[in-house]
Amino acid sequence: MGNDVWLIVTDPADLAVLPRVQNLGPVTALVIGDRELADLASRAVAAVQWIETADAVPAEAYVAAAAQSAAAATPRVIACSGAPASRAVLGAVAARCSAPLLPAVAGVTSDGAGVVVERTAIQGAVIATYRLTSPVCVVLVPDETAAGSVPEPATVVAAPSAAVAAMQVVSRVATAKASGLADAARVVSVGRGVRSRADLGMVEELAGALDAAVACSMPVADDLGWFPKDRYVGRSGQCIAPRLYVAVGISGAPQHLEGIRGAKVVVAINSDPDAAIFRAADCGVVGDLYEVVPALTAALAAAHR
Amino acid sequence: MTTAAAYTWSRDPGSAHVSADGTVTWPAAKLTPGEDDHAALAVAVAIGGSEGVVGVTLGAGDASWALARKATRAIVVSDAPLGDDDAATGAVLAAAARRAGADDVVVVGDSEAHPGVAPAVAGHLGWPIMLGVTSAQRIDGRVHVTRQVAGVEETVAITPPVVLGVTAVSVERSAPGMKEMLAARKRPVEKVTVAELGLEQRAALHPTTTRCPEATRARIFDGDPDRAAADLVAFLRSEGVA
Ligand SMILES: Cc1cc2nc3c(=O)[nH]c(=O)nc-3n(C[C@H](O)[C@H](O)[C@H](O)COP(=O)(O)OP(=O)(O)OC[C@H]3O[C@@H](n4cnc5c(N)ncnc54)[C@H](O)[C@@H]3O)c2cc1C
Repeated sequence: MGNDVWLIVTDPADLAVLPRVQNLGPVTALVIGDRELADLASRAVAAVQWIETADAVPAEAYVAAAAQSAAAATPRVIACSGAPASRAVLGAVAARCSAPLLPAVAGVTSDGAGVVVERTAIQGAVIATYRLTSPVCVVLVPDETAAGSVPEPATVVAAPSAAVAAMQVVSRVATAKASGLADAARVVSVGRGVRSRADLGMVEELAGALDAAVACSMPVADDLGWFPKDRYVGRSGQCIAPRLYVAVGISGAPQHLEGIRGAKVVVAINSDPDAAIFRAADCGVVGDLYEVVPALTAALAAAHR
Repeated sequence: MTTAAAYTWSRDPGSAHVSADGTVTWPAAKLTPGEDDHAALAVAVAIGGSEGVVGVTLGAGDASWALARKATRAIVVSDAPLGDDDAATGAVLAAAARRAGADDVVVVGDSEAHPGVAPAVAGHLGWPIMLGVTSAQRIDGRVHVTRQVAGVEETVAITPPVVLGVTAVSVERSAPGMKEMLAARKRPVEKVTVAELGLEQRAALHPTTTRCPEATRARIFDGDPDRAAADLVAFLRSEGVA
């Protein structure tokens, strides 16, 4: 068994999880993608193996070759982010190595010949700990701390990429709509805690005071039809990264939170102190939004005076 | 050609009770399919091969759930419990899909809670995989799948066999009615054991301990709404976001 860590990289998001496994030893990045991605990896890790993708061939076509390279190196830990093509490789490595595969992993530490894996479970309500013999495959959650760069970029070594699966991209159509949400620096978002459409004016006034765009949770667009569908945030809607996200009467379902992972400051206004949104928020007010929202609008106006 | 739809049933995290010391208990033993499984099954039915769609599940998975949603038969690995190791779950589902004669497309819900299951099914079958799929159709023997990648809708043509990890875009809009439930009862269900699949019986992986995360990092401003609002604005200004 090797002593090192392999990181599967098919997307820059994979490099963002690096700090969670850097404590274990030297990290080898197995990059499947273009030269730019390989160069990005070379500035973050000790060694880079690179499978270059051909035009119109998705990274998933190279999974078998990638898994073979990773398994042959017998690493102790094989890791990636939730990026789809990276997970595809991870599943193939786990099968080859008869290794366990754990998702939502926040940390891995050495434990003699094995490892201790910590992951979030029950929608973030608990941290679960596992003691496992290596090798282990882990899908890591994003880390906010920046990965340290290496003093000298690693040499990028071409990895064998034979046996490409028969898959080809036949079309790519931009779908990011002109909702303006994607570029908004500040977003105020409406959830089902707002009781009636007539009350939206109050939220829009808050958005005006913050110079923010207005978004919503999925049911507010889908079921209530108060906003067009390109205005809801979450895994099935818009994934946004504003500097400020104010969730008004939103419970914080995991599918919603997926859309605001990149937000810098998340504010929650909710009457339920146990609402999941408070676990994802930086700050918040526990209270009735019908009192808090007008008070906040007034406080912003006062602060700008 | 046989298409399979593999799915698992597990406890609904919303029904868990977490004590102050991080101990998790389940007052209501409510089991549900994964939130993406209905969409996965719908994709399987849409592209189903000539032999129809076989529902594949394990442990507490309910065969009639798939049969009421147009699967023509089902296979259940009754003694394989669902644990936290997605690779172990994938190994059992892959072996059961093989046993059921799946030779074309195996569709699996690409769930947020178990993002490693679909990849592990593909790994154990030795088939290619495409994840994050929202719809699929068959054109000239190839499967054309659509998925959303960073604001782009991408369509990829794939020659089977292939595993598709399907992402649901919403809750199931129309659940089967009484007629479908009754029809489901007449369809065949094969029960197999882990040993019959030629796999080693392994205990399900569960954590050695659970604990509560460090105190929530959210700063809560409460009390009088005007005071709370003023404090919040001061905080937002100190963060440079208001
Ligand atoms: C496959 C799938 C995909 C999904 N994708 C998405 C997605 O992309 N985006 C998305 O948003 N959802 C998505 N969902 C739905 C998601 O699971 C939740 O149902 C949804 O996000 C809940 O919306 P909500 O928070 O507005 O409503 P609720 O969950 O009903 O929450 C309302 C909140 O308002 C609070 N409240 C009530 N009254 C007041 C008051 N007077 N003052 C203050 N607070 C109050 C309550 O305490 C509660 O927390 C998806 C679901 C599935 C199954």
